[in-house]
Amino acid sequence: MATILSIQNIHKSYGPIRALNNVSFEVPEGSVFGVLGPNGSGKTTLLGIVLDVLKAKSGSYNWFNGMPNNAARQQIGALLETPNFYHYLSAWNNLEITSAISGRGKDDRDRVLKQVGLFERKDSRFQTFSLGMKQRLAIGAALLGRPKVLVLDEPTNGLDPAGIAEIRELILALNREGFTIIIASHLLDEVEKVCTHVAILKKGELLLDGPVNEVLLSEDQVEVSAGDIERLRQALTEMTGIKKMNVVNNTILLTCAPAITPLQVNEFCISKGITLSHLMLRKKSLETKFMELTNN
Amino acid sequence: MKLLAIEWLKIKRYRTFWILIGFFVVLLFLWNYEAMKGNIMLGNSKKNHGISIVNSDYSFPQAWSNLGYWGSLFIIFISILVIILTTNEYTYRTNRQNVIDGWKRQQFFHSKVLVVVMLSIFSSLFVVLLGAVLRLSQSGSLTGFFTGFHQMAYFFLLSLDYLGFALFIAIWIKRSGLAIGLFLLYSTIIETILKAVVNNYADKSYGNFLPLQASDELLPFPFPQMIKPMMSASPSFSMHTYALVAVGWCLVYYFVARAMLLRNDW
Repeated sequence: MATILSIQNIHKSYGPIRALNNVSFEVPEGSVFGVLGPNGSGKTTLLGIVLDVLKAKSGSYNWFNGMPNNAARQQIGALLETPNFYHYLSAWNNLEITSAISGRGKDDRDRVLKQVGLFERKDSRFQTFSLGMKQRLAIGAALLGRPKVLVLDEPTNGLDPAGIAEIRELILALNREGFTIIIASHLLDEVEKVCTHVAILKKGELLLDGPVNEVLLSEDQVEVSAGDIERLRQALTEMTGIKKMNVVNNTILLTCAPAITPLQVNEFCISKGITLSHLMLRKKSLETKFMELTNN
Repeated sequence: MKLLAIEWLKIKRYRTFWILIGFFVVLLFLWNYEAMKGNIMLGNSKKNHGISIVNSDYSFPQAWSNLGYWGSLFIIFISILVIILTTNEYTYRTNRQNVIDGWKRQQFFHSKVLVVVMLSIFSSLFVVLLGAVLRLSQSGSLTGFFTGFHQMAYFFLLSLDYLGFALFIAIWIKRSGLAIGLFLLYSTIIETILKAVVNNYADKSYGNFLPLQASDELLPFPFPQMIKPMMSASPSFSMHTYALVAVGWCLVYYFVARAMLLRNDW
């Protein structure tokens, strides 16, 4: 798969504060690439650098295997940090400027305004918009002319729940059409539902990156309980494939090898003459993983 | 040209733009019209034997001296306009968006430089037009139109100097109120003090070479004909020297502002 964006050893500081420290990764074509991290971890700084509004102290990046950066940016629909528009111009006229600079989608304005639900307000001035509407216009501007790559920094900021769901659907739909989407967020829920790849940042350090199903390999856990919890525990020590056992309240939490299913656990217990009163498969959520990664 | 077309999209629906241009056009016209009628006086009105301290001769070449000087005061409106147009980009963060959408930083800078050049051309053409209209309304002929016309070239240079300085201040300060305040303070007070200090201590009037002063020297105050002989001290430097210094300052604004834009975070 071709590489859309390649980042090598980026460093950036704001005075004494290290915002990014030796960050490198690649964004493959066709991915939904999540840049994750808590507030202040350097997500926006990183996107600002690859969009040339911020200057890195050292390191380099290149788009589309070395296309000149400004030409590359013309082919990228991007939303960075805040919706940036001329307050005194209407949505329609603001998009005219976007398309004049990027060379994309002068005739596409009707479509994107409909897509983000602002068509009825296309002649209203930007300053009359609510926060959510401003955000929608920014997303609309990024979509103008169907760029093959989208960079969305906190795209659901200020949107209501319906708006958030719409954006999620939109990202999934665009990805199915082969668009590459780079999305920065601290809302894991949002990322977990759409991303194929992630890079996790913490205080400017890249903790890990890669395909979601590899780097966030979920270690499933099975929760079991029975009338005689001690007898159950004794019995399970004999079962192969159980890596760890934790007794929590009146249940036992089993960390199992990937091949072990709840069915096998149940069969094993029956064979030992124990009837389970509780059996549940617990998927480790991205959130749990994320907390583990970023908390210490 | 593409850059200029995009700048035009930004400003053609901006009310403040039209209001400030309107002030420049209307007030410069009224001021010169009244000056020509001899109505602008020191102290009292014409009826009460006031003294005219401004030249009311609008035949050429004197008209160009008058218009050039008054234009140099009214160009302040256009300078403020340049500051507002530029700091707006920072306030709305559209400078970032322009780059995100595909401009090079340098293209953003050049689009603003082009606005400065176009506004200088516009102001100069308007002043020339005003000269023609006022003269025609007074005498019905344009005899000697091109005598002393080089003063309109000076006016163009002065516009570039003022507007370029305004652009530089705007890019440096980034905030509209502070930038306008600093520009007005500098052009009226700070430079006057600096000039006085330098001219007092230096062996020649090098204070005249300060950024805006250099082009001000090209278009001195138009005293009335009868007191002209009393006021005409021999100039410290030739007009050519002042013109060169003004061009020099324009280059300084260009390169320093460009370096700031290319180097810094936006």
